[in-house]
Amino acid sequence: MLHLRSLASRCAALFRRREWEDRVAEEIQFCLNMQTEENIRRGLEPPEAHAVASRMLGNKTQIAEEVYLVNTITILEETARNIRFSIRTLRKSWGFSFGVVAVLALTLGANIAIFSVVNTVLLHPLAYPNSERLISVETLWTNTGRISQDVSGPDFLDWQAQTSAFEKMAVTQGGDDFATIVGDHAMFANPRYVSADFFEVFGQTSFAGRLLSKQDIPVGETESSVTVVGHHWAEAQFGSAAAAIGKEIKVYGAALRIVGVAVPGFRYPGSADLWVPSNTASGGTNRAQHYYQAVGKLKPDVGLAQAQVELRTIAGNLARQYPENRVKTVSLIPLQELLTGNLKTTLWVLMSAVSVVWLIGCANIANLLLARATGRTREIALRTALGASRVRVAMQLLTESSLLAAVAGVGGLFFAYALIQGVVAWSPANLPRIDEVRIDKSVLIFAFGLSLLSTVFFGLVPALQGSRLDPMDSLKQGGTKSTVSRSGSRLRSTLIVTEVALSVILLVTAGLLMQSFRALQRVDLGFTTDRVLVAKTEYVVRNDDPIEIRARNDLYLDLLDRLRAVPGVSAAAGVSYLPMGREPRVARDFFIQGRPDGKPGERLQAELHAITPGYFKTLEIPLRIGRDFDRTDLPQRAQVAIVNNTLARSAFRGESPIGRHIRINSKAPWMEIVGVAGDTRWQDPSRLPPAVLFVSSTQGWGKSPSIIARTSARSSLDEKALAGTIRKLLHEASPTLPVKFEAMEEMYDSTLAYPRFRTQVITLFAAVAALLAAVGIFSVQAYLVGQRTKELAVRRALGARPADVIQLIVGQGLRLIGIGLLLGLVGALAVARLLTTLLFEISPWDAGTYLAAIAVLGGAALLATLIPAIRATTIAPVIALRQD
Amino acid sequence: MGKEKADLLQGTLDLLVLKTVDTLGPLHGWGIAKRIEQVSQELLEMKYGTLYPALMRLEQNGWISSEWGTSENNRKARFYSITRQGRKQLTLEEKNWEQMAAFIARLLGATR
Repeated sequence: MLHLRSLASRCAALFRRREWEDRVAEEIQFCLNMQTEENIRRGLEPPEAHAVASRMLGNKTQIAEEVYLVNTITILEETARNIRFSIRTLRKSWGFSFGVVAVLALTLGANIAIFSVVNTVLLHPLAYPNSERLISVETLWTNTGRISQDVSGPDFLDWQAQTSAFEKMAVTQGGDDFATIVGDHAMFANPRYVSADFFEVFGQTSFAGRLLSKQDIPVGETESSVTVVGHHWAEAQFGSAAAAIGKEIKVYGAALRIVGVAVPGFRYPGSADLWVPSNTASGGTNRAQHYYQAVGKLKPDVGLAQAQVELRTIAGNLARQYPENRVKTVSLIPLQELLTGNLKTTLWVLMSAVSVVWLIGCANIANLLLARATGRTREIALRTALGASRVRVAMQLLTESSLLAAVAGVGGLFFAYALIQGVVAWSPANLPRIDEVRIDKSVLIFAFGLSLLSTVFFGLVPALQGSRLDPMDSLKQGGTKSTVSRSGSRLRSTLIVTEVALSVILLVTAGLLMQSFRALQRVDLGFTTDRVLVAKTEYVVRNDDPIEIRARNDLYLDLLDRLRAVPGVSAAAGVSYLPMGREPRVARDFFIQGRPDGKPGERLQAELHAITPGYFKTLEIPLRIGRDFDRTDLPQRAQVAIVNNTLARSAFRGESPIGRHIRINSKAPWMEIVGVAGDTRWQDPSRLPPAVLFVSSTQGWGKSPSIIARTSARSSLDEKALAGTIRKLLHEASPTLPVKFEAMEEMYDSTLAYPRFRTQVITLFAAVAALLAAVGIFSVQAYLVGQRTKELAVRRALGARPADVIQLIVGQGLRLIGIGLLLGLVGALAVARLLTTLLFEISPWDAGTYLAAIAVLGGAALLATLIPAIRATTIAPVIALRQD
Repeated sequence: MGKEKADLLQGTLDLLVLKTVDTLGPLHGWGIAKRIEQVSQELLEMKYGTLYPALMRLEQNGWISSEWGTSENNRKARFYSITRQGRKQLTLEEKNWEQMAAFIARLLGATR
């Protein structure tokens, strides 16, 4: 405190130099006058009296300067001296310094790297103007509490017309991988069909050309003839943004002229390549069809809650007006949360884990410094005796710590830079905003702050400890190092207990995540993913033209026949919804003949998958009863369907569904159920299998199929090697069909990317933490043994057996480790509760995991105490006693 | 010791100044210097150049405070007086000094 006050007044003096100078001058003058008078009293003549007084006083400017130095510069000078001295001290024990810097740089680097990700993904506002006002307007089903991003066109138009909370609102529609033709090249692109104010909601300006305006919105049933493309896409297709303007492209059969290019980096929603104006009103008047995603920009002075109240009022009126809206209302979610919400838990878990590693690192270093400070007792005592104040000694020790932390901080930044490249490469490909991650100003501030905090954590404790030394005691003690300071050992004990406890928490976390990841991997998907190649294709059929659909089906059936004839191919089929594909799945109502229709929102729902014959064989999905589709199931024949187990169970309870009739809306034909297939988990292995209704593409169902092909287990043909064959067959069938390939195994793998990522990272952190804790225990035990060499020698000389010595040393360590394990257990129980959402098929209280964590850490800790203890038994009493 | 004037041991100046201000009450810088010289029977020569920075330091530490006043011969002078904290510090330093003195005495006695 004292020091702070002095520091404050010194700083103040820096700014009030004038005032101080006046005061100093006045006081010196006073002194001169007094001395002159005294000299006169002693009988000197006035001029001489003055001269003598001046001489006695010394150089006036010099005094003033010295006073000024006291006021200001000394603090800087002292710091400089401290630093020079610290460098000397640290260089003398460079091994120790290097160890400390390395541990700290690694933990700091890991923290900085993870923080950069958190900073960019969660803390940075989205890269749109006023992005904090951007809101996703979603549908909330009041009967189930489910929130869906999908909204119906008519609902949106009503909200847009009646809202006063939103400045602008817009809807988007469309997905990934639409067949697109640029010049004579067929490819996939991701178009988004957007309403008039879309770009205004995001406050966008064009990079080249213009963006979309109200005039671009097609009227009635006509189609848009213009588009705005993304900067990346323009460069990839045409070489530059400017070259793209005016070019004609075809997206899903529609000719579009490029009128503008968006600014680089703008790709909302998802990874859009181009934006096509669309008329929301022509999208149908059906309030039960939720084809759009809505986004709005709040007025500057309107809060989220206020806007939600307003939109819910509007939705409430709609609910009274339309039966389809009876169980619907609105939910507002900030866009930032929508885009990064699912990452939040993962990232915060990683951040907490990595900061625990840092804490353990700091505790370790504090222990080392503490041990070293005790070793330096005599040096410090001597300096105190020679007049160094307590503050001075503490400052000196703190300077050493700060120096270490500063070097480690810089090293950590470099390490973090390398680590970020690693994290970006290692993380799941679809991690939002990951490409934006970099070291920016807030990361630098974080790095600086953390280094400073490290200094406080590992530096302050030993510094205070060291400065509290009583010089008399230490000097009197002389050379004998027989006892260990009691307060020092209490601190060491606390640090060890903390390290062990924190490590247990991390180990339990890692264990739980690992087990749940393993459970996730063991999940029976209901189909097999290996040896299956997926060829994503798209054959464009516009306006459901039946002749075109027939042509398409013939093309694919013919293609599949040829593919099956390829040696090594055991099965092949077409499917509209790719298993493990990333496109959103829509569940829709279905009806069963002979039963009442039920009310909207309360009907049974199922996903609709259009497939070709051979699909179940290709994916090795068992057909429980009934038959597969076959080529005789043509449009003019009786309509047939296959249901999966879940649908059969929920809709028919114990009865057999075979021969019953099902349809998906009142205009669709009734279909006879001819088979029941096994359940499958299509997208997220952690979710229960959905109800699925399979329909046959041979009867005209579904959009353009993708091709899946399985290679025979007996053949040496690698499924990826099939790509060339399929590409050739497709090109022969139709040169304008775009195609891209992916192994089913890889698609499955990418669905596990998030759990795998967090499990691997946490496991790594936990391993490092456990290692640090063990090293910490080892170094402290080794140090203590070193300190007690003499005492142990005496004990040996007096007849203690090696076992007694081991018991003495280990017993002390074990008590601390035991306390640490116990505290860690309690902490882990508390933390595990927060992990529940990340766990799959494993209880957060899984006893085995806790026992394993304790066994691992307890074992490592035991080893770390045992080694120094065993070494202690090798001390030869005579040599040890002669040492001093 | 002869006629050589003793150098001030580091840290003792603070003690001297605090003690002087404590016994004599508010006192100006010149007065403090004179008093110390006088008590030391001219053994210590109190250079104002040494004293003044010390006064500043003590004031910054909050151990003494100062204000403008009028000296015995009607001149404007700055008067220093001890604070409560200063008194505490003084007791502490007195104790330290006594311990150290005793220690040194023992040390000298032992080696002789």
